[in-house]
Amino acid sequence: MAEVVAAFGVPHTPFFPALVKREGPQSETGRFYARQRQDLTQLRPDVIVLFSTDHLNTFFFDNLPIFAMGVTERFQGPIDEPAEVPMYEVPSRPDFAAHLRRTCIEAGFDVALSEKFKVDHSFMVPLHFLNPDMAIPVVPVFVSGHVPPLPSAQRCFDLGRTIGEAIASWPEDLRVAVMGSGSFSLDVFGPLMAPGRSDGVPDPQWAERICKLMEDGSTDTLLDEATPRQLAKAGNVGGEVLNWIAMLGAIGPRPAKYLMPQMSQGHAYGLWEGR
Amino acid sequence: MSVYEVNYICRELLRDHTFRDAMRTDPVKALAGRDLTGEEREALLAGDVGKLYRMGVNSFLMGYLPRFQACGITMETYNTRMRAEAGQQGAATGH
Repeated sequence: MAEVVAAFGVPHTPFFPALVKREGPQSETGRFYARQRQDLTQLRPDVIVLFSTDHLNTFFFDNLPIFAMGVTERFQGPIDEPAEVPMYEVPSRPDFAAHLRRTCIEAGFDVALSEKFKVDHSFMVPLHFLNPDMAIPVVPVFVSGHVPPLPSAQRCFDLGRTIGEAIASWPEDLRVAVMGSGSFSLDVFGPLMAPGRSDGVPDPQWAERICKLMEDGSTDTLLDEATPRQLAKAGNVGGEVLNWIAMLGAIGPRPAKYLMPQMSQGHAYGLWEGR
Repeated sequence: MSVYEVNYICRELLRDHTFRDAMRTDPVKALAGRDLTGEEREALLAGDVGKLYRMGVNSFLMGYLPRFQACGITMETYNTRMRAEAGQQGAATGH
């Protein structure tokens, strides 16, 4: 039987690859990603299920799903030119992904299907750092976290829980790592960006609150507090916390093994271990 | 909603390098034939990102305008104009 061996919360800031190249592996960002890569390597997952939010590159306003899943042999990215990230080809597991999607639909989640697609930095920056040789197949799960109305926190958690159950019902012995990627408080090119910058952290207290609740495993409180109003207050990409919430649903509520905040960017790096 | 076309144009800056260059060197010509209202065209050419935001254009996508120096918009200008919209109803608060 397949099992969720760990869950990773990870940022996808598009300038991080260039920053780490410029400042070196001992920079804060370099060290945080290296720690997570080491943990991922030691856990030896056979496949990664990655929840993230497309930045209107894979999908657009002509067709914008709340939830979607990639069911394909392989996909490419990034298509939005983040510096120092090559165009990767990422292997996937269409049989496993189709099983996850089928289970979601049977449970009442109308998850859209994409069999041919490319992804942007929201998927590729985490993989660039954690899975750089792309040896581990990846199933991408798209969660609408930018364009209101967003799915509710509870809905995203329940989607994640259903995917966790689907993983557990897959007959093959697979070690699965789930990942949720994004920021807790961040405004990119919006009115809440900081003076002289292209982004800003408009609600650092909220980002700290999320870290505390995730560290403690207080998932129910997080779901109660992650209201649409709060996510909007957190910035125009504040809804990316929904990817972390879906990831928590997949592994099940529990305290984090560690959570490394990076409050200058309104996000963190986290690990939850499977049972 | 023709705001769709403004959003589309912003994303085209990322995807179409010929269009990207044209929006930097001759935006009037680059936007000719695009399905824009007069108000949208005027706001784009003026780099009035605050007005575009109030009209419902996605702020993240508008970030491609200064990123690729389209319509003469610099990061500094963009930052000042967009920050002046804090508290206004825009795309970030929903359609």
